[in-house]
Amino acid sequence: MAKPRYVALTTGVPVFLLLCYALLPWLWMVLSSFRPESDLTQSPIAIMPSTLTLANHIQLLARTSFASSLRDSIIVASSSVVIGLAMAVPAAYAFSRFRFAGRRALQIQFLVINMFPVVMLILPIFVILRALNLLDTYLALIMGHATFTLPFAIWMLTSYINGIPQELDQASMLDGATRLQAMLLVVLPLAAPGIVAVGLYLFLTSWNEYLFALMLTGRNVRPVTVALQMFIGENQVSWGLLMAGGTVVSIPATVFFLFAQKHLVGGLTGGAVKG
Amino acid sequence: MKRSATPLLMLAPALTATGILVFFPVLNTLWLSLHNVVLFRPKSQPFVGLANYVEALHSQAFWDSLGRSVVWVVGSVSLQFLIGLGVALLLNRDFRMRGLVRAIIVVPWALPSVIIGLVWTWMLDFNFGILNQIGVAFGLLDEPVAWLAQSGTAMAAVMAAIVWQGFPFFAITLLAGLQSIPHDLYEGAEIDGANAWYTFVYVTVPGLLPVMVTALLLRMIWVANSLDLILVMTGGGPGTSTQTLPLHAFLTAWSGGNYGSGAALSTLLTLILLSVITIYVVRGQVDG
Amino acid sequence: MTKQRDSGFASTTTRRRLLLGAAAGGAALAAPPIIRVRSASVRSVRWWYFFDDPNAAPDALVSEFQKLHPDIRIDAERIPNNGGADYATRLYSALLAGQGPDVAMMKIANLSRLLEMEALLPIDSYLASWPGRGDIAEQHWKLAAAPDGKAYILPVQYVVLYLYIRQDWLDAAKMAPPKTLDEMLEVARAMTGKDRWGIGVRGGAGGQDFWASVVMGEVPWEKGAFVKPAAVAANDWYLDLFRKYKVTPPSTPGDGFQQTINNLKAGRTGMTIHHIGSASGVVESLGNRITAVPLPGGPRGAWATYGDGGQSIFAKCKDPDAAWAWISWLSAGEPNAAFNRLTGQVPVATSMAKNWTEVPKRFVDATVNSLPIARILPNLSQTADFVRTVWPQATQKAFLGQISSAEMMGAFEKLYFS
Repeated sequence: MAKPRYVALTTGVPVFLLLCYALLPWLWMVLSSFRPESDLTQSPIAIMPSTLTLANHIQLLARTSFASSLRDSIIVASSSVVIGLAMAVPAAYAFSRFRFAGRRALQIQFLVINMFPVVMLILPIFVILRALNLLDTYLALIMGHATFTLPFAIWMLTSYINGIPQELDQASMLDGATRLQAMLLVVLPLAAPGIVAVGLYLFLTSWNEYLFALMLTGRNVRPVTVALQMFIGENQVSWGLLMAGGTVVSIPATVFFLFAQKHLVGGLTGGAVKG
Repeated sequence: MKRSATPLLMLAPALTATGILVFFPVLNTLWLSLHNVVLFRPKSQPFVGLANYVEALHSQAFWDSLGRSVVWVVGSVSLQFLIGLGVALLLNRDFRMRGLVRAIIVVPWALPSVIIGLVWTWMLDFNFGILNQIGVAFGLLDEPVAWLAQSGTAMAAVMAAIVWQGFPFFAITLLAGLQSIPHDLYEGAEIDGANAWYTFVYVTVPGLLPVMVTALLLRMIWVANSLDLILVMTGGGPGTSTQTLPLHAFLTAWSGGNYGSGAALSTLLTLILLSVITIYVVRGQVDG
Repeated sequence: MTKQRDSGFASTTTRRRLLLGAAAGGAALAAPPIIRVRSASVRSVRWWYFFDDPNAAPDALVSEFQKLHPDIRIDAERIPNNGGADYATRLYSALLAGQGPDVAMMKIANLSRLLEMEALLPIDSYLASWPGRGDIAEQHWKLAAAPDGKAYILPVQYVVLYLYIRQDWLDAAKMAPPKTLDEMLEVARAMTGKDRWGIGVRGGAGGQDFWASVVMGEVPWEKGAFVKPAAVAANDWYLDLFRKYKVTPPSTPGDGFQQTINNLKAGRTGMTIHHIGSASGVVESLGNRITAVPLPGGPRGAWATYGDGGQSIFAKCKDPDAAWAWISWLSAGEPNAAFNRLTGQVPVATSMAKNWTEVPKRFVDATVNSLPIARILPNLSQTADFVRTVWPQATQKAFLGQISSAEMMGAFEKLYFS
């Protein structure tokens, strides 16, 4: 069946074009983070740098508190994934597998509240978290991110779980499994691609979020989005630091996903249903 | 008895968190939209009924920004979706280094909006922009274009940035959806001698449909509300040519200080989205 | 790298301050507190600040101050500024939630809104006995004065807008630095050529400063002032820099600080309007080819935007004496100079500004010589919205020909006087 030239044409060329589209703006940023500032205020700008320097990266990690911001963001984003999935998976399972009064209404409720612009909700949220004495803690930001991504997580997971035949849960429960076991041991592994996709969404949404990060943090917690914003001053834009920061920030999520994407493989085969 | 309690227990954590952090703030904002709330006059907030809504519906700025929101949402979501779908189909094939390519295309999505906004602004810059330089060098442009300074091109420029940022979302989400289509359906189609197009239309699309519909729906809501890229790249300008409805609400509340009007504008946006989505959900219900 | 939780957070609600009533009522007295309830022997002060340079940190200043005042602890918190927008969002939310700072860096533009919120504490009684007062030029006090006649802001740094100009381009054209707006236009036209323009003007945020200088000058902002024929004509002159004479780059309507300063550095423009805060960077690119002069005056009078930097004590501050000790220390003598070395601006303490050598002297001179014509936009509650939204929108529309000069001025009249 192997037709190498045909495959190179139909897969290789599109993949190459895709990589160009996805990476060229990013590479332009990465390249500029290694260039001296004087290179960047020349017009027309030279595509090849006059010289390469690590100055921006060294300054970023050694002289600003960016490293501790990275740690804060990693803590917040991964916790948001865990807590978000812990809330969303059972909810999605319930929506998918049970028919109960108010099901449709509750499901739509999760969509509707997602429609309200967050910029108008931040003030009451600020007041609530202040009353709970949670401002400037990891928990405030984690709960904020996990809660505001719930609608997405629940709806997407419901769609993915809907694709897994009910017969599987029922068969396992006939074999003596409890509902919880059926969900955790039968449905979840089969929904792995969906969970990985949703998990990635939760991680990146938290990773890139600015408004909550600006409003709910302070001296103790300072995510990277806020740290990056600090490089934009009133009379001075630290371009080199911004580009170096952007380069560094784009790496963790991509590396995580490099490992997680192995699970983007469907486990569901015809045999499973028949069995 | 047990049957009815289980699903509610499973929903309880999600509902509690949502109740505290979303539902209550929404109610609070709805309440404020019925008052004349000026941010810096916290002591006097008279009840004005629907006056904020009436004022919004009578203002040209509301209808103009609504129109721009429609362009923004339809344009950027459909482009993100089409590119994302193509990428998902491509990455669903078997080829060497597939895992690496899958991870690499996540890069645009892994960047904060402020960085994306700055990098695209810089690439589009009139004097320093690499895109102008390449365009002129290859004869695509006669002369550099001030993309972000012209009302005709500013919206397209910001949309180019958000499409770049958002296509990996569709790619990954749809790829996960493709993976959950049972293999035997493809095998069956192959045995029946179906060609690629037939397989796509009769196996892939129906199998992917629920995930596709949900992803589109949620992305639409997200893009409709997103304003960070616009804020970084144009701030709504030049003039008001990139001022969408949520940006209008945001500036009214936080720059103009008219929090009550901003709350009313946001509520109107929610109602409009709601009506669009109701049609969508109701139709989905019928189809399903 | 242990972080400590800010103890001020937890205890705010449990403390009450008698002084609050005085500040809230806007009454004249701002005496030191009558009764001070303290939960600990250390007096903590929550201080909000923003610096442009991400490498600059006030840690050394804080520890030096704490050495002098062992009983006071400064909890410094850096707040993202983002052109003032994020700082304002954060500040207003915090104040509305009762979570504001004790003392913070502040712009005069926020004064009227914060006074309406009764959020600030008058500092007149402190000033009366403060030895550093006389070392700060009268112009600073005049500009920072509140409408109610009291003082709420203690200046700590300043800049004044001036005109950057390419000395070598001037020499090549055998011209002198412009003294009037018409001369400036002539210079700009002489400098404009292939791929280069005479002057960089911002159509986006921040452009209102030069606009105000040209169009309003010394004319008071009162009812009808924007729509008088002379104002509309001055506005046409301003718009024509882009529309008719094309002495500004085609990207002008979208340009902000970043674009105008980069264009100057790259030799794309011969002049632009900014202040000493950008001088080191500009000199790094252009060396002796760049100089600065005070902004030329026009038919409407000489007027250069005063870029203020001051600090205010908030009404809910639990220990205003400690807060005052901190900010007054920063505004006098060597600490004031040290502070300005971090921020890249100019000390308000005259004794320190006299021999300021952080940037080449010609830029210090242009700044100091501009102080007499330094002005600010009127301190009205609409001004924040004017600067952030109304001015950029109307101006960009007018540059692009979507509205006329008269319509642009009408939008401002409507904002302020309808």
